[in-house]
Amino acid sequence: MHSDPPPSLEKRYARIGVVLIAPTVLVFCAVILYPLISAIYLSLFSIYTPTLAGEWVGVDNYTALLASGDFWNAALNTLIWTVGTLMLQLVFGVAMALLLNQSIVFQSLARSLVLFPYFLSTVVAVLVWRWLFNDLYGILNHVLLIAGLIDAPVNWLGQMPNAMISIILVGAWKYFPFVVIVVLARLQSIPEQLYEAATIDGAGPFQRFTDITLPQLRDVLVVVVLLRAIWDFKEFDLIYLMTGGGPVRATQTLSLLVYEEAFRLNRMGMASTYAVAMMLVLLGFTLVYLRQTNRLEEG
Amino acid sequence: MTDWLSIEGRSITRRDALKHLAAAGLATAVGGCGGTDEDGTITLRWWSTQGAPAQRAAYRAQIDLFEAAHPGVRVVFEAMSDEGYATQLAAAFASGEVPHLITHMPSFAVQGYYAHGLIEPFDDVIEAIGADEFYPGANDVYRAADGRYVGTSIGNTAADMLWIRRDLMERAEIEAIPETWDELRAACRAMQGGGIYGAPLPYGLNSANSLTFIGFIHRAGGSVFTPDLEIALDQQATYDALEFYRSMLELCPPGATGYSWGEMLTSFVSGATATGLYAGRVLANVAAQNPQIADSITCALYPRMSRDIPAWTYNDFPCVCIPSAASNKAEAKLFAASLFDPAGYIPQLHAAPGHVLPVLETVAENPAYRDNEIIDRYPQEIDLMASAAAQGYNLGFETTAHQPNTKAGEIIASNAIAEMVQRVVLNDENPQAAVGNTVTRLEEIMRS
Repeated sequence: MHSDPPPSLEKRYARIGVVLIAPTVLVFCAVILYPLISAIYLSLFSIYTPTLAGEWVGVDNYTALLASGDFWNAALNTLIWTVGTLMLQLVFGVAMALLLNQSIVFQSLARSLVLFPYFLSTVVAVLVWRWLFNDLYGILNHVLLIAGLIDAPVNWLGQMPNAMISIILVGAWKYFPFVVIVVLARLQSIPEQLYEAATIDGAGPFQRFTDITLPQLRDVLVVVVLLRAIWDFKEFDLIYLMTGGGPVRATQTLSLLVYEEAFRLNRMGMASTYAVAMMLVLLGFTLVYLRQTNRLEEG
Repeated sequence: MTDWLSIEGRSITRRDALKHLAAAGLATAVGGCGGTDEDGTITLRWWSTQGAPAQRAAYRAQIDLFEAAHPGVRVVFEAMSDEGYATQLAAAFASGEVPHLITHMPSFAVQGYYAHGLIEPFDDVIEAIGADEFYPGANDVYRAADGRYVGTSIGNTAADMLWIRRDLMERAEIEAIPETWDELRAACRAMQGGGIYGAPLPYGLNSANSLTFIGFIHRAGGSVFTPDLEIALDQQATYDALEFYRSMLELCPPGATGYSWGEMLTSFVSGATATGLYAGRVLANVAAQNPQIADSITCALYPRMSRDIPAWTYNDFPCVCIPSAASNKAEAKLFAASLFDPAGYIPQLHAAPGHVLPVLETVAENPAYRDNEIIDRYPQEIDLMASAAAQGYNLGFETTAHQPNTKAGEIIASNAIAEMVQRVVLNDENPQAAVGNTVTRLEEIMRS
């Protein structure tokens, strides 16, 4: 009677490794891979959302997407929104972090309060901002009218370019605390000796900022920019609640377009096509982010 | 409808219908399906787009009455929004997690869902309520292509009445309520000033804009579709309506370019505009929020392009319907029928007096219905809205000659018509190009 030799230690370790990694792989498949493949699969069908009944259309949805003015318009709007709000978040965030890094009165309180917009529910924040922007009763128009800066209330959300500017400003207000948190943490770890040496060498505040602070912040800012770009690119609730994509389609971003296709027009297949297109763009961002973080780790 | 369990003389009496519903309910309960707790309690989920505090209180009272009469059945009310119901229902239908009862959604949406097999036929509930107690033809809007009813109205709403301030009319020396667009524009211009605007028309990218503008096309003598549902948008009436809409922009508050129903209501009630375009909720809101103008307000049919064009009132026919995927359908039907029991129905109507108008003739004539402060104070306005709503239409039912348009819900949800208005009025685009673009989008939706 022939019997197999016992597996080597290496093989047994390999099996244990598979068993140990299996839960992670299963969870990954359930929450990442399955939705991803589903989205790609659905994008090849024409599907009525409420019934999920549909028919195979192959790459017709992709052809329609590329020929669609709505897609390119939404892509441009997404780009304007992402770049606009990200720039302001960086400027406000770095400025606020520099301020909070100084010895100021009520420093702890100020550091806590500055995080408030980030922790506030988007729905609540938008309701407040819509009220501030209100044409008839909004405090913003009221103050501007009293100051004599305008003769009639400004239509903040119903006409361009005001609508895009408004959502960019609100987006910057809502998300700049993230930049503050990260940059402040980095600022606190910059050796004080660098500033002392620069001061002895005659460097002024601006030179110290450009020659010491900014280079020290560079790596962390790259990561912040990439992360916030990814998050801002797929922003939905803030824009939807502020303008609904209007006026006309002037603030309609790709996320809003996906929503419109899926739940307003009940075209889940086409919505999946837009979502896949978004995913490809985000994949580009993610690859850059991963390369950057790898480089930092190696450095 | 004083004794709604005892009327005889039809092929199916309400008593029979209710017996059948109850028997089927018992069978379903015994069978044990979704919506039934471990202790046997059946939970019904009721979704509605009308959820003002007073209405919720009235619903609660109706639920209490029903639960007392049907031990073992619990009803949970959940509100949805006018602008968001399509999304919520799309997700609900797709997931199978549907409510047991939907109310106050426009009739055309129900027709659309029924065409896809998502809504339960409603004939037996109408029979249980009493088909002959409805206003004649009240359920026509719910008759599907297969001849069955897909729902019924829980009320009528004259959604686009012209509201106007008589005190401002007097001050501007306007003698008569405007009946034509020219008269309306002149009146708004005369009354505008001192922080008060002429009108709060909705120019936002939303359903309020689409639904309202369709009325203007009709009041210019046109329609969006022909009776056999060919797209008829590219016609003079559309261009006339667009031109009128454009001319009114300077008479509206600056934020009107984003207005939906809520802003339209608030601007008139608060006194920010001299005229309004809304349903009867204006009455209760003025009484509660701005009583100083309560004696000055009145309503009329919204002006049309010329007097020889018949009036057209938008009635969304707020519905009652039951998703076909709902569990415990028999209990849901029993509950749906119970909503029309005068003991609960009249307080429900009183929760939004003049806004949700009775669909049952017997209730409209019931002294208990007339016994309400608002209804008593504005009898002419209430009667006018009731008659206008009874003869009202919407995109799913543009005229009595039109076939039911099962794509109306998707057309409204797409904002295609609102976008056309915005392109012409806000972007100053060529009307022919904007209309042509909209026709293409409507064709896509009708084909899908």
